[in-house]
Amino acid sequence: MSLTAPGFPEDAVRERARIGTAAVFPDVTGYGTTLYGEAEQATGDALDAAALVPPVFVPERLEKLIDLAREPLYTDVDLVSDVGGFAAPLPLYLSAFGSTQVASTDLGVAASAQAGALGVPMVVGENVVPVSGYGRLGDAGGRSLLARITAYADAAPDGFGGVVVQQSTEDADAEVWNLVYSDPAARPLLESGRLGFELKVGQGAKPGLGGMTVVAPGEAARLADQFAVEPVFGAGGPLLRSASPGTFTEEILRQQIRLMRNNFPRARVWVKLPPGRDIAAAAQVAWAAGADSVTVDGAQGGSGWAPRGFLHGVGLPLAECLRRIGTPAGCLLVTGRIWEGLRAVKCLAAGARAVGLGRAALLAVETDPDAGLRRLVDALALEARMLVSALGKYRPAALSRDDLWFAGDEPVRELEPVR
Amino acid sequence: MDAPMDTTMDTTTDTTRQLPAGPREHLSSPTTQAVLRVQHTMLTAAREYLCDRGFTELLPPIIGPVTDPGARGAKQVDVDYYGHRYKLMTSAILYKQASLTAFDKIFCIAPNVRLEPLETSNTDRHLAEFHQIDVEWAGASRSDAMGVAEGVVTHVVRRVVERRAAELDVLGRDADAFADLLSGKGFEQRTHADAVADLHGLGHPQSADAEIDWAGEAMLSAKASRPFFVTDYPKGSRGFYDRESDERPGFLRNFDLLAPEGYGELCSGSEREYRYGQIVARMRETGENPAKYGWYLKMVREGIPGSAGFGIGLERLTRYVAGLDSVWQASAYPKVPGVVAP
Repeated sequence: MSLTAPGFPEDAVRERARIGTAAVFPDVTGYGTTLYGEAEQATGDALDAAALVPPVFVPERLEKLIDLAREPLYTDVDLVSDVGGFAAPLPLYLSAFGSTQVASTDLGVAASAQAGALGVPMVVGENVVPVSGYGRLGDAGGRSLLARITAYADAAPDGFGGVVVQQSTEDADAEVWNLVYSDPAARPLLESGRLGFELKVGQGAKPGLGGMTVVAPGEAARLADQFAVEPVFGAGGPLLRSASPGTFTEEILRQQIRLMRNNFPRARVWVKLPPGRDIAAAAQVAWAAGADSVTVDGAQGGSGWAPRGFLHGVGLPLAECLRRIGTPAGCLLVTGRIWEGLRAVKCLAAGARAVGLGRAALLAVETDPDAGLRRLVDALALEARMLVSALGKYRPAALSRDDLWFAGDEPVRELEPVR
Repeated sequence: MDAPMDTTMDTTTDTTRQLPAGPREHLSSPTTQAVLRVQHTMLTAAREYLCDRGFTELLPPIIGPVTDPGARGAKQVDVDYYGHRYKLMTSAILYKQASLTAFDKIFCIAPNVRLEPLETSNTDRHLAEFHQIDVEWAGASRSDAMGVAEGVVTHVVRRVVERRAAELDVLGRDADAFADLLSGKGFEQRTHADAVADLHGLGHPQSADAEIDWAGEAMLSAKASRPFFVTDYPKGSRGFYDRESDERPGFLRNFDLLAPEGYGELCSGSEREYRYGQIVARMRETGENPAKYGWYLKMVREGIPGSAGFGIGLERLTRYVAGLDSVWQASAYPKVPGVVAP
């Protein structure tokens, strides 16, 4: 079975997974004979419509020039970043694939191995454990979780990356974090400071709803006492299994984060928020309670199963989430339709510390289980270096809101007369 | 990249290297035999003290549909109970509260199983299988419960000093170590906030929002000459059943009892939350799904008494009384986290 991703630039992602950095440019065989210049149609949201706006005057390039004693190039951009408490070779991580069937196959393990080899932090989705059996590490779900952790740890270079295990309200029943924290297989990551836990408060594809999967009729009885299981696809067909979104107030979020820090003092604490209208307040509570990172999943995000209405018209777009958060008070990570460098760098300029690959990573791994993700990331890194350098900067953390222009941004201030 | 904080680990000894070759060697050792005799006297003394004060001993359940989620980082053990997922008890807390619908004052010597994180294997203070002297008292306040905890510990130590001088001699434990405890001066108490400030004063980076870490407990403990209480832990550090203060929101009406001489925590206790709405909200704050606490919440909704109580770690108390290097020496069949043993 081959994955499809309607509405997502699937062909472009697959092209990068096959040919890597070459896909950053138009087909090179047309070089010298083709007139370029026509912009490709952007896919649509405010972030896509915004532009990165390099300045003419570049004082940070001067600093770099002095440092290097030669004119800097885009290859001088250092992309190494702190991503939620983990060192990463570029401001990137793999976000969770969720529990739906597409993410429950060998793709998860292949993606883990590639992410590990890249040294890019990786989130392992909720529900990998509790959907199967008792949720012990020896069960099918546990083996799946363990296989991902092991594949990642075996491939990761020293000092880079990290594995972040997600848990949501219903996963609390399976105590996924306790399982991982005390499992010998996770010990190398724990002892090298490369294990984290992510509290899943919500998700981009369906803010306000819990996890959803489609299950065979035979599984319904086992799941019925824990989830809503409804025959929405007609009698005799598969069933919709829905989990609770979980109840959160400021105090509940604050205390859950504190309890994570108390119970798992050697793990990083990440918090994943849905694109809610109070996103700024929620992020603030999370940082103040000691979260190492807050992940915002824009309404465009998510690889999972969701009602059409939720995909089209529920939740804040990523650009608006970033606008409402303003200058982040801690590490902010964002996901949502990220697959190439331009959107990634726009997110960084808008305040994010790093961006997460979701669907794009899945498609790339499926296209080539050995190197698809690496090629996709190589292409993104090349673009990111060029873009950051074009903005007159040489590290991602130097990017700022000034580097980004939205149509309708305030008019330019009247200039001081030039003397 | 920054190293993870490793202040949570006391790495001064490697317990696993000292473990006996097998149960025969352990059980036939004069040290083990002396320890187990001391422990026998401790149990007798605890029962004597509590029974004399009107507490009824109950035998606690070993498995149930749900157990205490409050254990820091420890994994629970599942039991397939005729197709239902049951748990081995990590503590008796839920049953202690429920049992107050039978008697106002109860206690049990409760077996607990917690698959502690592997990093606890060399703290000298953690066992995956251990026992608690568990006490619960309907209508009691925190200070009532602290009084009973102090009374139990004092009585236990007095009885051991009176009746097990020969064993203490075998163990090299000088009874003078208990002079301050038995002096009648009472146990001192300080708040968690003060304890955190003390640790900062000692250069130890203790979080103000969290349980005092093991290294921090050992540091505080090392400076004391008799047991002492730490009270008012912040909410994010404990289970949903420790009652939040009405006067100081965010702080709990709870306490720990720490042994002197670096032996660390002996006991945790609290006034309990018993109000249905507050318990459900607190369950959410501790990341729990209330749905799995069905039987307990039904009882709470129909009404359980307010109470206060505590659990004293029997093996930890034995370690302190007998002056042992490691808590596993206080068990006939020790289960050190991560170490395969009978």
